[in-house]
Amino acid sequence: MPEREKLDADVLIVGAGPAGLACALHLARLIRRHNESGAKPELSAENIYVLEKARELGAHELSGAVMDPRGIAELVPDFAQAPPFDTPVIDDAVFFLKPERAYKLPITPPPLRNHGNYVISINKLVKWLGGLVEQAGVNVFTEFAGAQLIYEGDGIAGVITGDKGVDRSGKPKANFTPGYELRAKVTVLAEGPRGSLTKELVARKKLDGLNPQVYSIGVKELWEVPAGQVVPGFVAHTLGWPLDSSMYGGGWIYGLRENRVSLGLVTGLEYHNPRFDPREAFQEFKTHPLVRPILEGGHIIGYGAKTVPVGGWYSMPRTFVDGGLIVGDSASFLNSQRLKGIHLAIKTGMLAAETILEALRAGDASARTLAAFPRKVEQSWVAKELRGVRNFHQGFQHGLWRGLAHAAIQYVTGGRGLIDPMRMPAGYTEYHKLDGAGPAPPRMRGDGVLTFDRLTDIFYSGTRHTEDQPGHLLVADTNICVGRCVTEFGNPCQYFCPAAVYEMIEEKGVRRLKINASNCVHCKTCDVADPYQIITWVPPEGGGGPTYEGM
Amino acid sequence: MNILVITERRDAGWNPVSFEALAAAQQIAAQTQSSIAAVVIGKGVRALAEELAAYQLAQVVLVEHDLLDHYTPDGFTVALAQAITQAKPDLILMPHTYQVRDFAPKLAASLGKGMIGDCIGYRYENGRLIFVRQMFQGKTAADVTFSGASPWFASLQAGAFRGDQAARGASPVAITPVTVDLRPEQIRTVPLELFREAKQAVDLTQAPILVAIGRGIKAPENIPLAQKLAQLMGGELAASRPICDEGWLPMDRQIGSSGQTVSPKLYLALGISGAIQHVVGMKGSRTIVAINKDENAPIFEVADYGIVGDIFELIPALTEALEKK
Repeated sequence: MPEREKLDADVLIVGAGPAGLACALHLARLIRRHNESGAKPELSAENIYVLEKARELGAHELSGAVMDPRGIAELVPDFAQAPPFDTPVIDDAVFFLKPERAYKLPITPPPLRNHGNYVISINKLVKWLGGLVEQAGVNVFTEFAGAQLIYEGDGIAGVITGDKGVDRSGKPKANFTPGYELRAKVTVLAEGPRGSLTKELVARKKLDGLNPQVYSIGVKELWEVPAGQVVPGFVAHTLGWPLDSSMYGGGWIYGLRENRVSLGLVTGLEYHNPRFDPREAFQEFKTHPLVRPILEGGHIIGYGAKTVPVGGWYSMPRTFVDGGLIVGDSASFLNSQRLKGIHLAIKTGMLAAETILEALRAGDASARTLAAFPRKVEQSWVAKELRGVRNFHQGFQHGLWRGLAHAAIQYVTGGRGLIDPMRMPAGYTEYHKLDGAGPAPPRMRGDGVLTFDRLTDIFYSGTRHTEDQPGHLLVADTNICVGRCVTEFGNPCQYFCPAAVYEMIEEKGVRRLKINASNCVHCKTCDVADPYQIITWVPPEGGGGPTYEGM
Repeated sequence: MNILVITERRDAGWNPVSFEALAAAQQIAAQTQSSIAAVVIGKGVRALAEELAAYQLAQVVLVEHDLLDHYTPDGFTVALAQAITQAKPDLILMPHTYQVRDFAPKLAASLGKGMIGDCIGYRYENGRLIFVRQMFQGKTAADVTFSGASPWFASLQAGAFRGDQAARGASPVAITPVTVDLRPEQIRTVPLELFREAKQAVDLTQAPILVAIGRGIKAPENIPLAQKLAQLMGGELAASRPICDEGWLPMDRQIGSSGQTVSPKLYLALGISGAIQHVVGMKGSRTIVAINKDENAPIFEVADYGIVGDIFELIPALTEALEKK
């Protein structure tokens, strides 16, 4: 192994999403104020590094998204003039779907009322925020993933970025560049849902919250439709079909400018049928009489998928260690009842920045100093909002109807609900075993107009990886895949993966797992939903992955 | 300060980046009131040394030895270490070539010194030389300087300095031969023929006829069937991603969004379903003929001619027909 180049920073932020960028921007400004006051030690925003695995800022961000501006208003008070906020919500509705009918709820339940919010593209938001961060003097390195944490003492001291130019057998190619060893006083994990470094740190340092982390998967398409079929700022949420009443989740349809429509389906990754396919369910969703007329005559322009951390307050890991903080989706800061997390990501990034400034001033980034972060969260509106829905998602573990009833009870009890805290198992334990594998159902081919097969959707994610590189989906024991899993669960990886990465193939009577790693859209569903928990998602060579634009 | 430039030859002439290193040395020397020596190393390289002597420097150091006829990392390290010990430079500048990347770290380490590789510039500040090198694929530049006693080693990125700006001197300077003690047993490698970047084995974008195979080919043993057909048609063999992903064909045969984009006169797709990722790489072909046993395969939407059938019946039939011709 060649010696790595080393770089020292004050603060290293892994992940340039709303949380990481809010942290960087707020910290750069706090540093400027600190220096202007003449306080010592003198600090510099240039000693803040942000790592992002995507080719360009925003390219790996995926969300609906209806954004609550509460966070951004604190970070950038005049945000409303900025381009990402050109579409305020003007109308919202909730529908309950049966296969051929849609029932509009007479009143929109308070958590789903969106007056004052904005329909946004998270790609645009992150690009814009990234520009402000760079203007503030922070170094943002796209195409570099945090590959390994540097552990030191009881905590962390930075990361090693991924090696580049390694072939599929692990040998260096002509363009080999070893990863950098980036050391920092404080390392902020802002990796989004199911961060690969966060997962490892939480397991290694036993940072788990009361409940395990639980996730949903969101599958999304962006469409351009003939003028007049959707009003910019129109927001609809759906419950029911194509999900059955034992499942958690629902659909969305948002109207954007330029005759664009964002639509998708969120499914809790705790469903029972191991052959359920969230992407196919979303394709069916588009055929509903409520949805079809909106898309009629239009065409798809983007596809993507991503996990959503829905466990809430009781799934939150401990968010600080010596030299390290966890913010945003990585730490489960998401309101699952409103399905909104961007405002919480921004706010927790800012609170982390305030904690870090104190640590830099004191010259002490130990857990004792960084413990101020959860205290700041506790004193902020983040805790108030999340505590109010702390048992929301758990209430749905026995199906939609009991979940909705429980949500109502929770609403009037200020979050307490019937049992507090309500426990919940990890979603992957919820699969029902197949009674003998039986023949797999045929895969949806789509009509190529309204509904699509998997490869067509993946094409519209713009995902691209260097083909000749080591696999980034590590399966610990493929004997389980060709043995137990076949009969017990019928290889659910083939169904839950929204990007056709996993494929069981049979050649001359020999079954094996084929991993089409270059299809991966970095949603992390496999890491979450594999019933044996033998799949580990690690970042591929920096720059690889989807190219989300306007999503 | 004394600066030593290590030049590099290529076959009987110069590697022109040698003069970029010399130009850099002249700039640094002007700012630091230093003198420059330049090394020419090899066997029978006096002519090069004489050519170099016309440049503006203090002397040319000529390192010649029978065992330096061909480059070897051991030979160059041993010989240059001795030359450096005799010349006593403070700074050693080299072009950042494959050869320098090979021996320079070893040379610096053998003298217990540090090296700054692949520099794109320098600054002279408060009596201190600071080199600039790129990090994060050029997204940022780092200032690096030496600690500890000289000599210091630095290599310069090609193009960072202009070789044509290396100044010539008023009159030729002295050539100082240095004898080095080098024994055959010190050289542990045997040089083979000079490596050249492998040229793309096949340029599919130029082929007028392509015979492309997909998953329908089923197994690598069946590929020769298609290969033979391609030969008889005067075309090249190409493939969709799964074939190359399995390693059944090299990646330079891959057509599609993660491979090459082609527009031949004739594209024969055998057992290719026609996923959009493949189609974007070949839809510009003048005539597309597809054979697939699935009549609903999307390839038929872009095909000019389609056969719903088994490629294992049709490839031999086509081959036979072409052989009869």
